[in-house]
Amino acid sequence: METRSLLTLEDVGREEIREILDLARAFAEGRFVDSLENKTVCLAFFEASTRTAVSFELAARRSGALVISLSEKGSAIVKGESLIDTVVTLDRLGADVIVLRHQAAGAAALASRHTSAPVINAGDGCGQHPTQALLDLYTLSDALGGFEALQGRRVAIVGDVLHSRVARSVIPGFLQAGMEISLVAPLTLLPPDADALGLRVLCSVDEALEWGADVIYMLRLQRERMTGALIPSVAEYARFYGVSRRHLVSGALVMHPGPVNRGVEISGDVVLDASSLIPDQVAAGVCVRSAVLALSTGAAQSVAA
Amino acid sequence: MLRDNDSAELVIRQVHVLDPATGLDGTMDVRISSGRIAEIGEQLRGPRELDADGLHLFPGFVDVHAHWRTPGREDEEDIQSGSAAAAAGGFTSVVMMPNTDPIVDSPVVVSGLVRRVERESRVRAHVSAALHVGLAGERLTEMRLLKQAGAFCVSDDGLGTTSAGVLRNAMLYARSAGMPVILHCEDHTLATGVVHDGVAASLAGLPGSPASAEDSATATALILAAETGAKVHITHVSTALSAALVGFFEDRAEVTADTTPHHLTLTEDLVSTLDGLYRVNPPLRPDGDRGGVERALREGVLDFVATDHAPHASEEKELPIEEAAPGFLGHETAFTVLYTDLVLGGRLPLGRLIQAMSCAPGRWVGGAGSLDVGAPADLTLVDLSEEWTVGRGTLVSRSSNSPYLGRMLKGRVVGTIVGGEPVHDRTGARFGAHA
Repeated sequence: METRSLLTLEDVGREEIREILDLARAFAEGRFVDSLENKTVCLAFFEASTRTAVSFELAARRSGALVISLSEKGSAIVKGESLIDTVVTLDRLGADVIVLRHQAAGAAALASRHTSAPVINAGDGCGQHPTQALLDLYTLSDALGGFEALQGRRVAIVGDVLHSRVARSVIPGFLQAGMEISLVAPLTLLPPDADALGLRVLCSVDEALEWGADVIYMLRLQRERMTGALIPSVAEYARFYGVSRRHLVSGALVMHPGPVNRGVEISGDVVLDASSLIPDQVAAGVCVRSAVLALSTGAAQSVAA
Repeated sequence: MLRDNDSAELVIRQVHVLDPATGLDGTMDVRISSGRIAEIGEQLRGPRELDADGLHLFPGFVDVHAHWRTPGREDEEDIQSGSAAAAAGGFTSVVMMPNTDPIVDSPVVVSGLVRRVERESRVRAHVSAALHVGLAGERLTEMRLLKQAGAFCVSDDGLGTTSAGVLRNAMLYARSAGMPVILHCEDHTLATGVVHDGVAASLAGLPGSPASAEDSATATALILAAETGAKVHITHVSTALSAALVGFFEDRAEVTADTTPHHLTLTEDLVSTLDGLYRVNPPLRPDGDRGGVERALREGVLDFVATDHAPHASEEKELPIEEAAPGFLGHETAFTVLYTDLVLGGRLPLGRLIQAMSCAPGRWVGGAGSLDVGAPADLTLVDLSEEWTVGRGTLVSRSSNSPYLGRMLKGRVVGTIVGGEPVHDRTGARFGAHA
């Protein structure tokens, strides 16, 4: 049975994305209920997480897997066990797949070099968060009439691109889907080579709408970025890089990987507005992660057969 | 002065026009209409004429570095007295520095100052805002909101930056905000003295600040400007090495730099007087640095002159040098001092001086510094033959801390015109003369 790690979305081609989204749809429709029966899914979360951890756990359990959860509290992680030692232990205990969340970029790739079980990157530092990008593509395909309908659509990614693993995964994802991307952020929150990568840089959400954005993809501004060194104030940030009700008249869809800072990147009355896909993104997390677990363990082949 | 009922047209006749920006250099007539330069030629006539035979006409001088002490220290200078001093020195545009009380670091202070400038200033005055809140080098100011409120550029002038990392982020954010940055380059871990750390300081027993305090900060600023792509102006360059560093980065960064009249004409020798009047920051340097800065200005490595006009109350200057406030008046003597010492001394062509006082800083602030037909009539009229002695009685500024008090100088601004309106007029009846 062929297994496969999911470390970065940079490695996932257009056809493979389509395959994952199709499989996720099947899971959403209630097929393959017991696809992970007799599989052991290990959730190794070295860093706190709510929605990612919960949706992976639900995805595994609903498919009939045995789930083992390690969090930073109550495991050898707090005793100072190294990343490699932890994943080697999980591997030898018989994990069929290891879902890893870690505070350092490259952690998932490092872990995968020391295990026979496939590793799914559930977020590594400022590196990658591939399942987030996949569930975003799933959500957007749903909203716009299918994966093919994403071709040529414009998405503005707004906020702290520099420190965002979500940005590093959704950018290749949106590009594979044939979307045009602009980045909307002050230069203090952008990688220095943003324009060298061929990505358009815009200065405000207003500019993004003038550019014709179909989708405004908001990134979370971490609290530690709000102290004045990188942006002067929440007021100025919200004024130029926040989405408020007045932006919705354009008809653009609003997305956010969560958790939302209401009043910072999104004004409170937008989060649950009809043009907001944020609740749909959360909902898509389970079926997309079921699909990823099934593909990475090889279980998808057996259910398809 | 012009009478209100006169038409908006004026012909300045038989004046020697010198404008390196347009290449004009010769005796001609200039017609001003509706606040703009309407025509430059010969035999122009109009209902109102100024016979300027024997005078020189330059594009108005531009000073990107002025402390008008408003708000907070109006006892030293305010917008009226500061702009009158600027007009008396031939300046038609200035940039006001933000180290006031309160500090210009919030949109509400900026918009208040912009409104006051419109009402009270005789010359065009751009409001600069702080780069960091409270000039403290920690939290960035709301540069985009400051710009919307009318701020022209950002600067923590008076202070160097706390760290290179802080400065780099500030440059990046300023670039995003579309704000030029004016930098006072000084490393405070090195600049612990009150005068230049040289022979004069040693003999006098005064704590010195070495040239490296400026040079290392200038190098850091230039490297970061090149890396971030920010539009950076380095003000009051006072050492030969800093000038050379600016030259190295000329084509590698969007950077300009100025030096001051006092760093071009005075040296650390004045420290031996122990007179608080001569304390200034950056400090007066040895003649080798003065000469290096002069050469850099002559060769265009340093783009222009700015005065760092810094009025101080007498009780802040009439003190031992260690206790005195740093700073000199600058507006009223800038041209005359540079004309007397450098141009008449054969060390700087008059055309290069006008480039450095009008054209280059005018380009930097935008839309000023040239005599193009159609451009705003911002003009400076100078009598190059007039000799005068700088004295408390000749100064228009509310303060009198000029290092040139008692100096006999040659060349004097006799008229300053902003948008076609005379804002300084020592031409007697000639401005109002009719044909």
